[in-house]
Amino acid sequence: MDHATAESSKIDGYASALVEIARAEGAESVVPDEFHTAAHSLAGNAELIETLRDPRVPTERKQGIVDDLLGSRASAVTVAAINFVVAAGQARHLADIAKRFADLSAEAEGEVVAEVRAPIPLADDQVERLRTALARVTNRRVQVKVVVDPTVVGGLVTKVGDTVLDGSLQGRFNELREQWG
Amino acid sequence: MHIAYAPLILAAEESGDSGGLDLLLPAAEELIAGIIAFSIVFFFVWKWAIPAFNATLAARQAEIDAEVESAEKAKLEAESLLSDYREQLAGARAEADQIVAEARDAGEAVKADIVSRAQAEADQIKARANDEITAERERVSGDIRRQVADLSINVAERVVGDSIDVERQRQLVDRYIDDLGGVQ
Repeated sequence: MDHATAESSKIDGYASALVEIARAEGAESVVPDEFHTAAHSLAGNAELIETLRDPRVPTERKQGIVDDLLGSRASAVTVAAINFVVAAGQARHLADIAKRFADLSAEAEGEVVAEVRAPIPLADDQVERLRTALARVTNRRVQVKVVVDPTVVGGLVTKVGDTVLDGSLQGRFNELREQWG
Repeated sequence: MHIAYAPLILAAEESGDSGGLDLLLPAAEELIAGIIAFSIVFFFVWKWAIPAFNATLAARQAEIDAEVESAEKAKLEAESLLSDYREQLAGARAEADQIVAEARDAGEAVKADIVSRAQAEADQIKARANDEITAERERVSGDIRRQVADLSINVAERVVGDSIDVERQRQLVDRYIDDLGGVQ
């Protein structure tokens, strides 16, 4: 088993555990979404992630940070789930676990997750139209998870399963770099 | 000699002046005895001395002839030897000339070969150096182009990012959704 496969199976394990926790709490409709949003807002701050995975920082201190940042914006189950992953020393995998957690939860509902990276938060009607369009393209019911990421610059990057639909200015600039580099 | 004496005797008898001439002429007996003696001597000389002399002479002549002939032969031999030597000398000289010419040709060939090989090597070194220079130039210009491109794109990205307002962001997202809706 190579390193990448080991990482991936670890992420699978954590994600599956979170699915069970959410189901046990009867919060499977809320937790995956909240977890996804929270994980990405934490993962967007590299310094914060470094602190959360630093073994010299006491676990209580890490949980204090997470509670401060998320306490008012997420349910107690979600915060507890994040804290569980952080306490296990897997803070740097938060985003991947969130993605896998969302995938597994959506699968249980017969749906797929579309992870959308956008430079600004999307309006509700935009999310709804995007969901409809993606549902038509994939022939599945789609859960849209928006991740705000300023490096997209403009437009959107949508990831459904292994398929990436890049309609961002970042993608255009990367194409230019490929051409000229 | 008999014939020569006869007129003398006649002349003496005819003159009749016997006094003066008698003084000069020998007495008849003495004359006859002299003639006989002379004849005997003459006969001996004619019979043995002359042939012996002639034989000696002939032998001598033959000897000289043989010597002359042998000398001629020696001379001819010497001449033929000389001409042989001359011929050999000429042959040797020609051979020497040929060897020298061959050596010169071989030298020229070696020289030409060395020069052409040195030239070829020099050409090769030059070509390699040129290739390296070209490759280096291309590499450097490629690096510069890449750096300039990266820098330009980074600047463009930042400028575009700063210049896009919320309304424009919204339009871009809407267009993305519309484009996606168009895909079947």
